[in-house]
Amino acid sequence: MNHFPVGWGRPRDDVYGAYNPSYLPQSHGGTQANPITHTQSPIVTGTSVLAIKYKDGVVIAADNLASYGSLARFTDVKRLKQFNRKAVVGFGGDVSDMQYLDRLLNSLDVEENYGGDAPAESGPHMSAKNLHAYLSKVMYKRRSDFNPLWNAMLVAGLDESDKPFLAYADLLGTTYSSPSLATGFGAHLAQPIMRRAVPNEAASRELSKEQAVECIKECMKVLFYRDARSMPVYSIAVIDGKGVDLKEDEKLENQSWAFAEQIRGYGTQTV
Amino acid sequence: MAAMMQSAMPTSEPGYSFSQAPQSVAGGPRQHGFYPYTDNGGTTLGITGSDFAVLAGDTRSTSGYNINSRYAPKLFKIGGTGSANEGARIVLSVVGFAADGNALKERLDTVVKMYKFQHNKEMSVHACAQRLSHILYNKRFFPYYVHAILGGLDENGVGALYSYDPVGSYERETCRSAGAASSLITPFLDNQVNLKNQYDPTSGSGLEKVTKAPQPLSRQTVEELVTDSFTSAAERQIEVGDGLQMFIITKDGIEEKYMELKKD
Amino acid sequence: MDALVAQHSRSQHAAEGYSEDEMQQQMSADLAQPLSLQFALPPTASPSQWLRAMTDDHSNPQCPIKIAHGTTTLAFRHKGGIVVATDSRATAGDWIASQTVKKVIEINSCLLGTMAGGAADCQYWLAYLGMQCRLHELRHKRRISVAAASKILANLVYSYKGMGLSMGTMCAGVTPSEGPALYYIDSDGTRLAGNLFCVGSGQTFAYGVLDAEYHYDMEDAEALELGKRSILAATHRDAFSGGYINLYHVKEDGWVKHGFMDTNPIFWETKLKKGEFSNVTSKMDE
Repeated sequence: MNHFPVGWGRPRDDVYGAYNPSYLPQSHGGTQANPITHTQSPIVTGTSVLAIKYKDGVVIAADNLASYGSLARFTDVKRLKQFNRKAVVGFGGDVSDMQYLDRLLNSLDVEENYGGDAPAESGPHMSAKNLHAYLSKVMYKRRSDFNPLWNAMLVAGLDESDKPFLAYADLLGTTYSSPSLATGFGAHLAQPIMRRAVPNEAASRELSKEQAVECIKECMKVLFYRDARSMPVYSIAVIDGKGVDLKEDEKLENQSWAFAEQIRGYGTQTV
Repeated sequence: MAAMMQSAMPTSEPGYSFSQAPQSVAGGPRQHGFYPYTDNGGTTLGITGSDFAVLAGDTRSTSGYNINSRYAPKLFKIGGTGSANEGARIVLSVVGFAADGNALKERLDTVVKMYKFQHNKEMSVHACAQRLSHILYNKRFFPYYVHAILGGLDENGVGALYSYDPVGSYERETCRSAGAASSLITPFLDNQVNLKNQYDPTSGSGLEKVTKAPQPLSRQTVEELVTDSFTSAAERQIEVGDGLQMFIITKDGIEEKYMELKKD
Repeated sequence: MDALVAQHSRSQHAAEGYSEDEMQQQMSADLAQPLSLQFALPPTASPSQWLRAMTDDHSNPQCPIKIAHGTTTLAFRHKGGIVVATDSRATAGDWIASQTVKKVIEINSCLLGTMAGGAADCQYWLAYLGMQCRLHELRHKRRISVAAASKILANLVYSYKGMGLSMGTMCAGVTPSEGPALYYIDSDGTRLAGNLFCVGSGQTFAYGVLDAEYHYDMEDAEALELGKRSILAATHRDAFSGGYINLYHVKEDGWVKHGFMDTNPIFWETKLKKGEFSNVTSKMDE
């Protein structure tokens, strides 16, 4: 322990060794490399996931690309996973961890339906809310073990009383819920557009399914314009009282690259 | 000891027997570990009166400059029955890393509920406060990145408020603010609740001056102070805004109030 | 073989989450034994280095977790007992986290501990010491000596040496066998008996006043005044000390509290009535 007036009570270098700032990110005075390059880091990754609540359910979408750094490595990776007829999970981040979580959720679903405690009556007995609670606890436990599952995900579906449910969970175990949510680049590019449609819960109760789907499609287009790790083929799911309607091979429509003409500062043009 | 000997070489400079300035690892092996924390912003505030306690928090959740959600409560009822905590008399507020805050809330809630099953009586705020300190200290070497405030009514029905640092040092206070805007709100509270540096103008000058003694505040005054604190904090702190959630704990239970804050 | 079959027939989700052991531990921690010696550790190769990176605000003012630190405390023996005095400020980095910290911890009716360094460390371990002292009383049907109590604490913190605890504490008590006894214990494991100690970032300023005026044969009033004056000097010169002066006197039949006094009026009284602090040039009202 340091006994000098300045720094009294703090650790002393000759006891604890020199202060090692490499545990901390630069924002906290550390020297951890940024963007985070870890001994454990995502390798093959998916980009944004978007979702919006409307009056009867939730619309969720993510494109079908898995990138390897800046290489568009796999172009047919489905990142929306249906859990049961009440819940869909959209994954961003590491694809191998996504696949692990998918296996995990499958085994959980099997246990729920065929295990000892399976309900006699038909129908899913885990709601999207239950699923989100489970997933966020898995994520928080893994982060506390310093062995995170490198994903940011959205859980979309219906809660136990069949109301629309949408929530986020990520590698740190952070969770939150909102009428519209987006992970990754989508938080910067798509979220403002979606918030224009649903600024609050009351607005989402007024939104029709068509409006919600339209809004999501528009956002996917904007993301494709500006997110260099995206592609124009995507999956979209609508979850409502009737079940899950998942389409995994949608293409962006009505693209207009006219705005590209106006872009200045990246090429050789001199004006 | 070795380090002391090495630097004890005679020099012309005045100095200590070993280097005082902290050094950091320059070359050497670098840890590129996982950084398990983030800051979700926001601010909480608690003020007590003679027969009530008020806890409040904004409902914005942030990551860097992004707003995650405009409604992510930082206030949690502790105890009572079921997942809705019906009949609870204790409120916990947490700011900092929301996932840690949530984990902390769930542990304390479990403890308080178990206490009732074991002892067939409600846990007192005093006992709950001490227990919360121990839960936080249990993570002394891997801290919860949170600033907690616990509120309730003590055995005499007087408002009780306990504030905590991340590793569990705690103190009972009449008012406390924590989080992103605590440096804006605390001076305001020092002035308005504890009447710091205010003197009775009729009491003469010099050493004759009499400081104003803080009086217990009425519930309405407290609620006004809380709203003023948050509307002002939302003006000057980017991590504060969207909504203000307020829990008022009285002998009749917990009353919840919500009002909108600026959304910019 | 059965174990092998069990391992592979178990569904995947059963492997995720908490193990039986972890759940057992959590349950017992939630049910009983709140003052436990089982602490969660960060799962890294070097937990203490990791903890230091997160919490050492001296080496890195931007570190994320700022632990509240306490600052000037003193205690000295004189013929009438032991005077214990502290300031009341807690700082987290540059921020004054509190001006009303109780840095004198009442372990029991005859034993006092003081708090400097990590506030939580001091609170927790002195509470733990209080528990051990009570257990000693119940087992041996007599009160624990200050020497023994301080040794429990010293051994305890020594077993955590290198883990990152930060505390500088004094144990003061009067027992029939020892008379007034004063011990200094810090988180390095140091334990010293002595007549006079000042601990914390303001220790040097307090020593300056205390050493100049101290003699063992002081009367109670004179000793209490000196304790107060020494803390006042420290709050004046050390930015990390301030708030209120917490004053205690430990005597044969237990400790007596002599107030929790705002430093500001005491400062002006000392300056204007006694003519001290002539370095401060302004008049009070200007």
